Amino acid sequence: MALVSGLVPARFLTLTAHLVIVITIFWSRDNNVRASLPLQYSQQQYERQDVELVVALSVTLGLFAVELAGFLSGISMFNNTQSLLSTGAHASAAVALLFFLFEQWESSLYWWIFAFCSALPAAFEILLFVSVFGFKRKPL
Amino acid sequence: VHPPGRQLSSTPLEILLFLNGWYYATYFLLEIFIFVYKGLLLPYPSANLALDLVMLFLYLGIEVTRIFFGSKGNLCQRKVPLSISLALTFPAAVMAAYYLLLQTYALRLEAILNAILLLFYAVELLLGILTLASFSRVDSY
Repeated sequence: MALVSGLVPARFLTLTAHLVIVITIFWSRDNNVRASLPLQYSQQQYERQDVELVVALSVTLGLFAVELAGFLSGISMFNNTQSLLSTGAHASAAVALLFFLFEQWESSLYWWIFAFCSALPAAFEILLFVSVFGFKRKPL
Repeated sequence: VHPPGRQLSSTPLEILLFLNGWYYATYFLLEIFIFVYKGLLLPYPSANLALDLVMLFLYLGIEVTRIFFGSKGNLCQRKVPLSISLALTFPAAVMAAYYLLLQTYALRLEAILNAILLLFYAVELLLGILTLASFSRVDSY
């Protein structure tokens, strides 16, 4: 199989799509915060839910930085397993987050999407970092 | 310090141009759909809608030329195509800034997409100038 197959742009585009949706949710998180609160709520309850969602989104952005660093530096760009996993995870995340945004899901559901679609590829990425830098294995 | 052998082509620049090409293709298709959406939903004076659409096709032309010349110039280690590409980065950045800030109705989604394009341009400009400098230090065939 050629080194630069269609998997590299697919991975990059699904990663970017997921990133764009996360930034969009960050920008308009008011609806999702309100969906997690009871009908009558105090300002402190709102702020607590808001902080929870902000933390979740910020951690997601941090893990994006990890995965983009691994991808752009070449460590995992040509590793087909990681590319496949990443493409699948980020594509599902993009669809799930579209539902999250348009159907105004509550913010506790975000953690499930985060676990499977952000934490999993980032964990594999860190594993690859360790195996390349620590155990001196080749990035492929 | 010259790289070993005579390879002066910049791999990071090539990677960025490759990804930029794919990203721009997606951006263009998405923008067509967004304009259909905005045209149906928002009150557009028809002159503004026509201007935005024509500019989008102009942007496509600029971007395709820019990426092609940049990639060829970098891979063949030729200064002229690479500098054409660098020069075209400026109108491309102006177009991205237009769609980010100045167009009639800018959606949040469009703002984010254009910001990512501007980020691409900034890094490509930097790498392009460094690559051009490294080409100029050696006599070309």
